[in-house]
Amino acid sequence: MTRSAEAALLLTASVVAAFGTALVGFTRGIGLDAQVALTFIVFVGAFGAIHLSLRRWAPSANPYLFPLAAILAAIGLTEVYRLDPELGSVQRWSLLIAAGGASGLIFLLRGDGVAVLRRYRYLFLTLGVVLLLLPWLPDEWLVHGIEANGSRLWVGLDLPGRTLSFQPGEIAKLLLAVFLASYLADHHLAMGTTRRNIGRLALPPLRQFGPILLAAAAAFAVLVYQRDLGASLLIFALFVGAIYLATGQLAYIVAGAALVVAGGVTSYQLFGHVQRRVGAWLDPFADFSDTGYQVAQGLFAFGSGSLTGSGVGMGRPDLIPAAATDFIFAAVAEEMGFAGAVAVIAGFALLVAAGFGIALHTRDLFRRFLAACLTLVLALQTLLILAGVLRLFPITGITLPFMSYGGTSLVANMLLLAMLARISHGARA
Amino acid sequence: MNGPIRHLAAVIFVAFAVLVGTVTYLQVIRGPEYRDDPRNLRVPTGRAGKERGTIITADGVILARSTGDPDNPQLFTRTYPEGESYAHVVGYATLIFGAAGVEKTQAPALVSNRDATISGVINAILGGDIRPQGLRLSLIDDLQQAAIQALGEQTGAVVALDPDTGAVLAMVSNPGFDPASLQGRDAGPAGNALDGDPTEPLRNRAVNATYPPGSVFKIVTAAAALEAGVAGGGTTFDDPLTLELPGSTATISNYDGEVCGNGGTVTLTQAFVSSCNTTFAALGMQVGADQLVATAEAFGFNTEIPFDLDTLPSVIPGAATFVNDLPGVAQSAIGQRDVRATPLQMALVVAAIANEGEVMQPYLVQQVFNSAGQIESEATPAVWRRAISPASAAALTDLMEKAVAGGTGFRARIPGFRVAGKTGTAEVPGGAPDTWFAGFGPVEAAPDVPRIVVAVIVEDGGTAGDNGTGGAVAAPIAKAVMQTFAGL
Repeated sequence: MTRSAEAALLLTASVVAAFGTALVGFTRGIGLDAQVALTFIVFVGAFGAIHLSLRRWAPSANPYLFPLAAILAAIGLTEVYRLDPELGSVQRWSLLIAAGGASGLIFLLRGDGVAVLRRYRYLFLTLGVVLLLLPWLPDEWLVHGIEANGSRLWVGLDLPGRTLSFQPGEIAKLLLAVFLASYLADHHLAMGTTRRNIGRLALPPLRQFGPILLAAAAAFAVLVYQRDLGASLLIFALFVGAIYLATGQLAYIVAGAALVVAGGVTSYQLFGHVQRRVGAWLDPFADFSDTGYQVAQGLFAFGSGSLTGSGVGMGRPDLIPAAATDFIFAAVAEEMGFAGAVAVIAGFALLVAAGFGIALHTRDLFRRFLAACLTLVLALQTLLILAGVLRLFPITGITLPFMSYGGTSLVANMLLLAMLARISHGARA
Repeated sequence: MNGPIRHLAAVIFVAFAVLVGTVTYLQVIRGPEYRDDPRNLRVPTGRAGKERGTIITADGVILARSTGDPDNPQLFTRTYPEGESYAHVVGYATLIFGAAGVEKTQAPALVSNRDATISGVINAILGGDIRPQGLRLSLIDDLQQAAIQALGEQTGAVVALDPDTGAVLAMVSNPGFDPASLQGRDAGPAGNALDGDPTEPLRNRAVNATYPPGSVFKIVTAAAALEAGVAGGGTTFDDPLTLELPGSTATISNYDGEVCGNGGTVTLTQAFVSSCNTTFAALGMQVGADQLVATAEAFGFNTEIPFDLDTLPSVIPGAATFVNDLPGVAQSAIGQRDVRATPLQMALVVAAIANEGEVMQPYLVQQVFNSAGQIESEATPAVWRRAISPASAAALTDLMEKAVAGGTGFRARIPGFRVAGKTGTAEVPGGAPDTWFAGFGPVEAAPDVPRIVVAVIVEDGGTAGDNGTGGAVAAPIAKAVMQTFAGL
C-alpha cells in the first residue's frame, strides 16, 4: 500500500524533473530535445531501482524519504542543468551512481545488517578518519589531494585523459554517525550519571567520554588543518548533538556552543579566509567587488526573484559565483521565487521530520541513535548552508543535500536515506 | 528516552522557521531594494534585447519601436525613427549607458515582466496579454518640429504645454543626440563621446537644467506684490537712473543703462512692459523676502515637480537667508543672485496665470495601450497646486499682454492671436546672457478654444552672442511655436 504511494510520488518527481529540463530547453530556444527524455529515464531508473530494492528488502520502510529527496533532486537538477547543461548531465550520472549505492546499501543491510554496523564501530571510526586524511596525499601520487579555494578537501584519481575527483569528507560524516550511534548505545547510561561536581557543574565520568572526545578531537583537528571550517563545524555539532541525545543534559549543548564560539574566534584570528568570509557576512557591500561579491550577488538574486521568480532560464543566477554548488538555493530563489524557496525549505523540513519520526518510533537503542544522528547530519548541513546563503551566518562552503551539483554529496546523502529507510523498516516490522 | 530527540527536533524546526522568515524578509520586504540596487546587473541585462512597447506622439508619429530579429524572434532591437527630434523625451535604455527619458521612467509599462512569472504564465494560458504596453505621449509633432526649427543650432530648450490640462505639447533640448548611437554592442566609443561632451548633449535642458531666470522672474515678483496687496498695475514708483542698494555699495541699473520712464515716476505696468530692474528691485525689497519666497514656492519652486520625466527642482533660497541681506532680496526679485529655474518651471508659472492661478500637474504620457491597441489607462488632468488668486492672475495677464503688445516682448506678437508673455535676459558671470521668453495665448479665449504656454531658454545669447536679449533671441522662437499652434 505505502509502496504504491511511494511509486506514484517518485514518478511525479520524475515528471517534474523532465518538465524542468524541458523548461530550460524552451528558454534556451531549443525546444523539446532528447535531454528531456534522458532526464526522465535517469530519474525513473534511479528511483525505480531504489523503490524495487525497498519493496524487496525493506517493504515497510517509510515511504516519504525517497519521494522528498527525488523532488528536491528534481528542482536541484533543473537549476544545475539551467546553469550549465554539461554539469547537469554529469549530475544525472551521479544520481544513477548514488541510486545504485543506495540500492546496494539497502540490500547489504537486509536482515541483521544494521546490527553489523553496531559491532564494527571502531572500524568505521578508523575508516572515517582515514577518509578525512585522504586529501593529504601528495599531489604527484595516482590518488592525490586537490586544493581549491584555500581548502584541501578533494581527492583526485588520475585516469588516462581525465581526473575523477570526490570529497571523502562527505562519506566520513556517515561513518562517524554510525560510530557515534553505536558507542552511545552502549555507554549512554554510564554517561548520563555524574560522578563529580564542581560547583553547580556536573562532570561526567571521564572514562566513558574518553574515546568519544578523542574521536571528536581527531576528526576536528584533521578538518581544521584542512581548513574546511564548514565541515568541522558540522562534525563538531554532530558530536555535541549526539551526546545530548544520549544523556539529555543541556550542559553539553551549552559547553559545545561555548567551544564553537571560542573556536570561531580563534580561527578568525588564525585564518585569512575566515576573516574574509566573516567580513563578507557582516557587510557584503563594504567590499562589493571582491570578498563581498558572492554574498551580495546572492542577495540580489533573492531580491530579483520576488514572489514567483523570474522563471527557469529567465533570471541571471549565472551572476552568482558557485551558483550550482554552495549557492544553488539563491539560484532557485531567483528563478522560482519566494514560492520555490519556501517549497525547498519545506521539503527539507519534511525530510528531517520523517527522520526524527523514524528515530522516535524505533525501540532498539542503536537504531534510534543512528536514525537521530543521521537526521541530525542532514539537518545541520541543510541549515548551515542555507543560513550562509541567507546571510544569517558566514558562508561555510558545504553543499545543499540532493540539490547542489556534486557527485559525492549526492551519493553520501542517498546512502544516508538508505540507512534511514532500512531502520524505519526494522521499526515497523 | 524520547525527550532529547523531541527537543533537538524542536530546535531544528525553529531554525527552519527562522529560514522561512529570513527568505520572506530578503525576497519580499527587502527584495525591491536589492533588485533595484545599481550594482545588480539583472535589471538592465534582463531588459536588453527584450521587446519594449511602442511610443507614439499624440498625433500618431512613431517615436520608438521594437522589431524582432528574423533569425531569433526572442531578440529585439529598438529603433527610434525620429532620431534626434524626440531624443530627450523618449530617452534610451541601454546596458552601458543606463537609461533616460520615458524609456527609463515608464519602463514598468514598456517592458513586460509578466511573461516569466507563474502568474504571467497562468495569465497567458487564460488568454491574457503579457506583451509590453505602448505609450501615446501628449506631444504634437507639428509643434515639436516648429520648436526644433525655431531653436535651430542654438543651445537651449523649449517647453510647450496646455495650461488647462497640463499636457506637454512640445519639448526640445539642444544640443541633441541620436538615441540609436547608444544602442548595440558597438555603442561604446560614440556613447562615451556623447557622455563626455562638455556641451552635455544627453542632458534634457527643459527639465534637467536650471538657469538664472532674470527678468521672466519679474512675473513672480509682480505676483507676490499683487498677492500681498503691496502694489497694483497703477502703483507708481520713483524712477532713478540707478538704484542704490541699502547697506552695500552695489547698485542696480536697467538693461540699457537708462531711466525706466521719464525719470520722474513710473507705474508698475510701465516698469513691467519695459522690464525695469530698478523698479522691480525696489518692489522686491518692498514686498519682502517672506512674501517673495512664499509666492515662488506657491508656483512650485523648491519642490520636485511630479512629472513623467526625472526633473530638477527650481530653487530660491529660503527667506531666512535674506534676514540681513536686502540687496539679496533686490537681486532675487529680478531673477538673479541664487534664483535658478528650469524651463518647465517657468512654463508652469505662466500656466498658472493662464489658468486663473491654478497649476495643472504637467504630464507627458497621455495613454498607455496594450499590444492590441486598446487603452489601458489615460492621463486625467489634475490640479497640482493653487499658486495665486484669480484676481492676481487676471492682473498679471494684463501686464504680460501689454509687455508683448508694446514692450520687450514685441517680437512674439501674432496678428489675430493675443499673446501674453515676458522676456528675460539673465546675466551670467563671465559669459553672454541666458535669454528667456515665457508666455501664453490666446488671451481671453472662449472656454473651448485650446491655449498654449511656451517657455524658451537660449543659452549664451544664442546666435546674437553678447548682444542677445530675451526679446530678440527667445521671443521669436515662442512666436513660431504659437503660430504653428494657432495655424497662422
